[in-house]
Amino acid sequence: MSTTIEIRNLNQYYGRKQALRDINLTIETGMFGLLGRNGAGKTTLMKVIATLLPRSEGEVSVCGRSTLRPQEVRKIVGYLPQDFSMYPNMTVYEAMDYLGVLSGLSRAKRRQRIPRLLQRVNLQDDKRKKVKALSGGMKRRLGIAQAILHNPKVLIVDEPTAGLDPEERVRFRNLLCEIAEERIVILSTHIVGDIEATCEDIAVLDEGSVIYQGTVTDLIAMTEGKVYTAEISKRELEALKKDYIVTSMLTLGNNVMARFLAEERPFASAKLCEAGVEDAYMYLMHAERGELGC
Amino acid sequence: MLGQLFAKECKQTAKSLIYWLIVLILIFGFTTQLGNNMEIAKEPKPGRASYGYQASHDPEIIMSHTLGKLTEEYFRGNYTTYPIGFYKNVTLDKEDDHRIGEILKEAAGITGKEEAGRVMEDWYTAQTELKEAESGGTEAEDMGPNDVNAGDMMYREPLKIEPAAGLTYERFAELMDEADKILGGGSEYGKDDREMNAEVPKTYEDAKKEYNTLIEKDGLTGGYARLFCDYMGIFLGILPVFLAVTRGMRDRRAVMQELIYTRRCPSLTVVASRYLAMIVMLVLPVLALSVFPLAKCMNYARTAGITVDMLAFVKYTFGWLMPMIMIAAALGMFLTELTDTAAAVLVQGAWWFVAIFGGVQTLRGGMYGWNLVPRHNTEFNWQGYHDGFAQLALNRTLYAAAALLLTLLTAYIYSQKRKGRLQIRGKILANRKSKS
Repeated sequence: MSTTIEIRNLNQYYGRKQALRDINLTIETGMFGLLGRNGAGKTTLMKVIATLLPRSEGEVSVCGRSTLRPQEVRKIVGYLPQDFSMYPNMTVYEAMDYLGVLSGLSRAKRRQRIPRLLQRVNLQDDKRKKVKALSGGMKRRLGIAQAILHNPKVLIVDEPTAGLDPEERVRFRNLLCEIAEERIVILSTHIVGDIEATCEDIAVLDEGSVIYQGTVTDLIAMTEGKVYTAEISKRELEALKKDYIVTSMLTLGNNVMARFLAEERPFASAKLCEAGVEDAYMYLMHAERGELGC
Repeated sequence: MLGQLFAKECKQTAKSLIYWLIVLILIFGFTTQLGNNMEIAKEPKPGRASYGYQASHDPEIIMSHTLGKLTEEYFRGNYTTYPIGFYKNVTLDKEDDHRIGEILKEAAGITGKEEAGRVMEDWYTAQTELKEAESGGTEAEDMGPNDVNAGDMMYREPLKIEPAAGLTYERFAELMDEADKILGGGSEYGKDDREMNAEVPKTYEDAKKEYNTLIEKDGLTGGYARLFCDYMGIFLGILPVFLAVTRGMRDRRAVMQELIYTRRCPSLTVVASRYLAMIVMLVLPVLALSVFPLAKCMNYARTAGITVDMLAFVKYTFGWLMPMIMIAAALGMFLTELTDTAAAVLVQGAWWFVAIFGGVQTLRGGMYGWNLVPRHNTEFNWQGYHDGFAQLALNRTLYAAAALLLTLLTAYIYSQKRKGRLQIRGKILANRKSKS
């Protein structure tokens, strides 16, 4: 049986508005990052894969099962939506148990799996806590636990780290990486750091189209020799911003250490430096729109 | 899967505030309407001054009482009607008023308002004299038919007008039907209502027969089970919709929709488990409350040495009340799933309102029609129940079947929403935004 998600010529419309344009993707086992700004179409794409939206045109198959037969796809897909929540008055265990029944798990299986999963997401001591009493990070971890409750082959997580503190974010990313060892995990985010820390394969969406698909390494390679740093005065910064894409700034007294993208060395004091995913992402987004300076 | 989900839904319902509010209202309704004041009918003894009143089926009595009412309303120039159950004061134009005068002339030989006034005057005088005679001549003051305080007077006898010589009951019925039509329907002259106009005092024999029927045909508990259903039905015609709406909205409020939608559980199983849990959780307090009147009946039966039908309350609860619970809950679920709003409360509320007011004229039972809340506000009238049973059975079957159909439609809507279709709420919101 196929272990990949195949998306062919997918177009998605909301009324007359086109949300996805001719998407072609192959997603294999492991972490797959879906990167793009807000409104790029990431959530729409994930909802189509999770059978929450009927595709308008094209083909989508999940491990060999067409999304035209949602009942079949739902058996092998776990989903953590962007606005994750559960019945607030249920305890953590009750919520898991309820969703376990909806996933078709027998009582024996639920009794066996739920404690194990709660331990895996470090919520074993909170199983009697009401959902409304959980912190944001705990809720997200519970979200992951419920999504893999029925041991799905595919896990879809939509913007999972938004609103988490740095420690929780790191813990959450590590958890996703562990889970991805045995299944496809699609991580949708607009936070480049999440992708950098977890994914090797990614796709970048912009205005409903895939503008990049490949490895993070290749994406970074596209920007090699195009990332510079320079210490300039605050007055010069405005001029630099007009001509180049500034990806970061660090204030140093009256001066600013600026990091920016340029096709070739713009001035003598600019130093070439190693590119990161964020640089590469910014380069890609602006190159796509023809907004690169130099 | 259905059984386990059903158990979980029951548990969720048992933890919801709205459910316990509904239970409290049911307890309040039961205790105020029936619980505290429910006296078991005693075997009538001969020699009492009054045994109450009963409707007469004697055509002569029906005609004289109905014509008495028509004479009074014709004289006053305004008529009370209940079209679709709501009170309405009707004043006729000259032409229609003239036609009512003609009808009265043909049916009772009363020629115009003047003669009607004289008949009324005589009747008032007779009433006053009767009252004076009873109170030793100190209480009642003489009143004319136009006296504003006339309504305060307790009439001893209703106004009765002898039908015109040679008037057959069939012709009388035709004339009254016409009068009812002129008045826009819902008057006291319509087919069903004119037969209720003729209330006559019960004799000892009537009361004894009624009591015997209650004991022999109804096993005592049957009559009280109907009375119990009559009162509880008033509440159960509306309350289930609140439970259904809050259950339907809970997923959206808790942002649980997508989590549930992506599970493998079939839509029909999700919807059916919720529906069944609602029905069972609503029937349970009703059955629990029915234990009190049952205990009273059993207590009386023990002292009177009679045998009662122990299962009557259960049978009536399932046959009479459950279809009501089913349809109110199903409509609530259907409209909530369709619109993602609490619109069902308004729709069910309106339906309930019409049903309750529409039932005002059929309180004694026997005329159940298609009313959502069939009335039978007496432990007696087994004959009426017996005669109207076929209609009642049809009525209850229709609502139960409609409830099941609505549940299936809810499951269909739910399955479509799981696939991202029929998102009506999104469209409503988008429409609102575009207008604002």
